[in-house]
Amino acid sequence: MASFSQLVDNVVVNTFELSQPETRIGRRPDNDIQIDEISVSGQHALIEAIPNAYLDGTVDYYITDSNSTNGTFVNELRISGRQRLNSNDVVRIGWNEFRFIDEEEQALEKTAYILD
Amino acid sequence: MGYQVAGQSHTGAVRKSNQDVVEWQLSEAADRALLVVADGMGGHQGGEVASRLAVDAVLDAAGEALTCMPPDAPDHEIRKILDRGFALANDRIKARRAEEPGLEKMGTTLVLAWVSGSRAHIAHIGDSRCYRLRKQQAVCLTRDDTVVQNMLEDGSITLADVPHVPFRNVLTRAVGSVEEAAPSHRTEILEPGDALLLCSDGLTDSVPEDRWPGIVHGHDGPASAVQALIEAGLANGAGDNVSVVLLTLE
Repeated sequence: MASFSQLVDNVVVNTFELSQPETRIGRRPDNDIQIDEISVSGQHALIEAIPNAYLDGTVDYYITDSNSTNGTFVNELRISGRQRLNSNDVVRIGWNEFRFIDEEEQALEKTAYILD
Repeated sequence: MGYQVAGQSHTGAVRKSNQDVVEWQLSEAADRALLVVADGMGGHQGGEVASRLAVDAVLDAAGEALTCMPPDAPDHEIRKILDRGFALANDRIKARRAEEPGLEKMGTTLVLAWVSGSRAHIAHIGDSRCYRLRKQQAVCLTRDDTVVQNMLEDGSITLADVPHVPFRNVLTRAVGSVEEAAPSHRTEILEPGDALLLCSDGLTDSVPEDRWPGIVHGHDGPASAVQALIEAGLANGAGDNVSVVLLTLE
């Protein structure tokens, strides 16, 4: 399971579980993660949880900016297309900072192995 | 066309054991050569056993047969012999996996090139690669059998994502872990001045490809070029075993 934690001065103030196939982020109340702050667009960004087609049991998380006014940034780089999130990425929605954590990913062995 | 060949495998700056194996054979007239690199995996001992079994199998099944082929032998005849090398490697590793506890997860990458005249026949399984160096360009001639390669091709990720993807070392197939080891084939026409380079991922991960031609062309002969490539990898803290076989054409 992955989570999305809002940071204020590097302190976690709120954590959202990314348990749905799609998580909508924006200022309007119909978003899954609502951020009522002026730099955030009504519908700002979308996080998708997609099972990896080549690696059973692995879920990849992708973020897409929904044509927001002030942009979506991953590790301070403004994203244009859909981008895969890696554990510990810092995502900025307008002026609001979040940390993406994927515990499954951290548990994945980093040494080489073979799919049988 | 006269070839010069050299190769070396180094444990790297971090690992305690070397699971890579390099091998090559050069005909007396220096006009035909067989180059092999294998990168074993699957536990403490397994990796070393698998890569060694694979390279020996290739030499047993293909070494002599290739030497006996006429210089104008058609591509499909060459491929048949290379296939035999992969099949024997696969069979031998599978047999050892079945009989020895502790080795049941072993497997290996395997890339080989048979060069005769100006033709290079390349066959591979896994993520050990073959490159052609021409002037200042290094062109990869093989397609990695990895999850990451599949995701790059379907657009899920970009090259910039690759170093961060946690499963970047996961192979979709390897010799010894598949039912039938049918390698991917490619034939390449070489020109005088070209070099053919086979390597394990220890080199690709530690020295950027665009630096290779400069290193290779900056040295007199393949032996010192191979040494320089490995030293460049070690200087960058090579986290994996680093292996290179290099053929140069005069």
